[in-house]
Amino acid sequence: MVLVLILAAIPLITSSRTTLNLWTEIYILGVFAMSYDILLGYTGIVSFGHALFFGTGAYMTGIIIKNTGPTLSNLLLAVLGTLFLAVVISLIIGYLSLRVKDVYYAMITLAFAELFFISAEKWRSITNGADGFSFQVPSFLQNRVVFYYGILIFLVLVVLLLRRFIDSPVGRVLQAIRENEKRAEFLGYDVLKFKLISTVVAGVVASLAGIAWALQQRFVSTGVMAVDKTIDALLMTTIGGTGTLYGALIGSGLTTMAKNQLAGFAKFNPIFERWYIIFGLLYILIVLFFPGGIIGTWNRIWTKK
Amino acid sequence: MILQLSHVQTFIDQFHILQDVTLEVPEGEVTVILGRNGAGKTTTLRTIMGLTPPSGGSVQFRGEQLNGLPPYAIARKGIGFVPEDQGIFSNLTVEENLSLAMRKKDGATRARLQFVLNIFPDLEYKLKQKGESLSGGQKQMLAIGRALVNDNRLLLIDEPSKGLAPIMVEKLAQAIREIKQHTTVVLVEQNFALASAVGERYVIIDDGHTVREGLMSELLQDRELLGRYLGIKSNLSNGKVV
Amino acid sequence: MDIFMNLTLSGLSTGMMIFLLASGLSLIFGLMGVLNFAHGSIFMWGAYSGVWIYFRTQSFTLAILTGMMMGMALGWLAERTIIRRVYGRPIDQILITTGLMLVLNEVLKAVFGPNIIAVPIPPLLAGSWELGRIIIVKYRVFTIFVGLVVAAAVHLILTRTRVGMIVRAGVQNQEMVQVLGINIRQVFSLVFMFGAGLAALGGVMMAPAIGAINPGMGLENQMLAFIVVVIGGMGSILGSALASVLVGLAGVYTAWFLPEAALAVNVLFMTVVLLIKPSGLFGMGGEQNR
Repeated sequence: MVLVLILAAIPLITSSRTTLNLWTEIYILGVFAMSYDILLGYTGIVSFGHALFFGTGAYMTGIIIKNTGPTLSNLLLAVLGTLFLAVVISLIIGYLSLRVKDVYYAMITLAFAELFFISAEKWRSITNGADGFSFQVPSFLQNRVVFYYGILIFLVLVVLLLRRFIDSPVGRVLQAIRENEKRAEFLGYDVLKFKLISTVVAGVVASLAGIAWALQQRFVSTGVMAVDKTIDALLMTTIGGTGTLYGALIGSGLTTMAKNQLAGFAKFNPIFERWYIIFGLLYILIVLFFPGGIIGTWNRIWTKK
Repeated sequence: MILQLSHVQTFIDQFHILQDVTLEVPEGEVTVILGRNGAGKTTTLRTIMGLTPPSGGSVQFRGEQLNGLPPYAIARKGIGFVPEDQGIFSNLTVEENLSLAMRKKDGATRARLQFVLNIFPDLEYKLKQKGESLSGGQKQMLAIGRALVNDNRLLLIDEPSKGLAPIMVEKLAQAIREIKQHTTVVLVEQNFALASAVGERYVIIDDGHTVREGLMSELLQDRELLGRYLGIKSNLSNGKVV
Repeated sequence: MDIFMNLTLSGLSTGMMIFLLASGLSLIFGLMGVLNFAHGSIFMWGAYSGVWIYFRTQSFTLAILTGMMMGMALGWLAERTIIRRVYGRPIDQILITTGLMLVLNEVLKAVFGPNIIAVPIPPLLAGSWELGRIIIVKYRVFTIFVGLVVAAAVHLILTRTRVGMIVRAGVQNQEMVQVLGINIRQVFSLVFMFGAGLAALGGVMMAPAIGAINPGMGLENQMLAFIVVVIGGMGSILGSALASVLVGLAGVYTAWFLPEAALAVNVLFMTVVLLIKPSGLFGMGGEQNR
């Protein structure tokens, strides 16, 4: 609660547009990462296709607004359209790919992600391919401060919603599945159904993040559908700490801030352009030696005291 | 004593399968491990072999501690293991299965191979055929044969008679009698007829605990034990069933 | 008719190079249960290092050797430091090899730059033969030749050597191999290294075929390799070979008629196989004791 107040105070401290933008990005990507955590941290599924939900949300928003005008009602149309698509796509892909073992699932989701990416690239008439297109956002969202608060509220809502989801009976079953899938099956749970629910929830939240992203950037290109985005989510969740929800937020904060800061240092030394390497190595170290990520390790230090 | 287990405990996931297993196996004899389904007999063998490492107690083979060693190291100390499903590589030929098992390719090994082919002539005739073409009984022979081509001092065999026709079981009994002259045998068997025919000593395991051990001849007289742990109701005082 | 020949040749050629990538992946997964998400990156490193040497020495042979050694070195290093810590933990394996892929890709971009580099076909292998109206591109024949040689070599190793026997047995039942007194972990290292070397070889071969290398080629081709391995079955070299040819031909033919659908067709095949027979057409049987 305190944290939210602090964050809410930020626009009052600085009027810097870049800072506001930075934080908005952190929140949006944080939501995206949290949705990934539902899959990875709470259900134990490794998906490589998550970006396709994010991208769908972003493209839906961009395409509808660009073609029908930047009004609130069109935005709502985009949101509804996205939600619908997200549910349908997650059900279809989920049904096809969840029935096989983890490793095959990872490969299949990667394949689907690539398919979506290539479609976005080739369907130039609608998406303008790899170049992307920009668009106007509805007037009430044009003020950066207003937008900041809007996203902050969005973030808080998502956190509350996901927390409730995780603590619900369904959420508990998912965690049981993550712990020991065979056991959950023996206990009589229809594992496929629960994994499907998890996929839909994660997919929907990711697509909402995508919408927010498009509104923030006012620009959409194939980057939103790229496997890189899914890997970003993976990095954020793991570094912050899987299975903790807040870990995803911390991961997002760290990654996004690093991206911005280190890109600045690139003027001094080109090595900083490849800051991803550092994150990659950090990620590997965490998977090997600190499986709880930042939050997990923090907790362990505290309990030792 | 060639093999000694002392208060061995084994967990599989969070299941406490072996809670307190203590037994001794004298060299040169056939010791049979008996007990109900799920009692922990197979797990005992797997623990000795290092496939499910013990979390407590000690496993000693010829005075050496086996705890914590990887299975291949344990095997190299001279222990052969014939699992319940035989573990035949179906896409390899009989010859390849045997060859894979051989740790050395010297004269002594070749002599042992000959010994194996003598007691299991079917294998000689099917040498170039793939493992998957063997019958159940032949697979069992191959599995045991594989454990014999090396200079193994101890053989752990898990339920070899499972699914075999009576005549095959008889052949199996003969084979075990021949084998035990060179190698100590520990046999897990549900088929009490076979167990009592070849076994000299017995160990009963129930619910992860060793209940009793002793001479087979004594067990055959003890109707109460037979009934309680093995579900055997009839009188087998003459001891000869096979 | 000539188009048909052309397409078939091209498809076979592509198939062979994918085979080099997929066979290693298949063996590694079949034997060790490790799905190496960094396999494509090793493929890419092979291509880049091979090309780098080629530009400096004009020797394609040297390029091939360098590429392969780079691949084996990376494979050995990866197995030693990272992979062996996560045996038996599939989720962690996926996570770790993905991390490895990320690092390898980024380091590659840092060393060689993020741009596309054009690669010419070595003069000796350039050009084509003409048989009436049919044009046969020499380089493609070369790749098919190399692919066949490798396939034959791998087959011989698997069937005639003790190591090969251990691998074949291990793919079926890893535990039993250990019980027979064989330290299968050592074989794991060898197989991983060898698989990586093959992947890198595939990379070096593919560079002149496409005419360019770029930092995205790792993931692209790895995708195809995954599809091949799923269709052909984990652990089966024969399966990989046949599936590679299928995927190569399907991709090339589809691209001719409908370029956008090339990948889709192969994904479709993969999905169908996964739904009907998840262990692949020649799969060795998925469940292993670990």
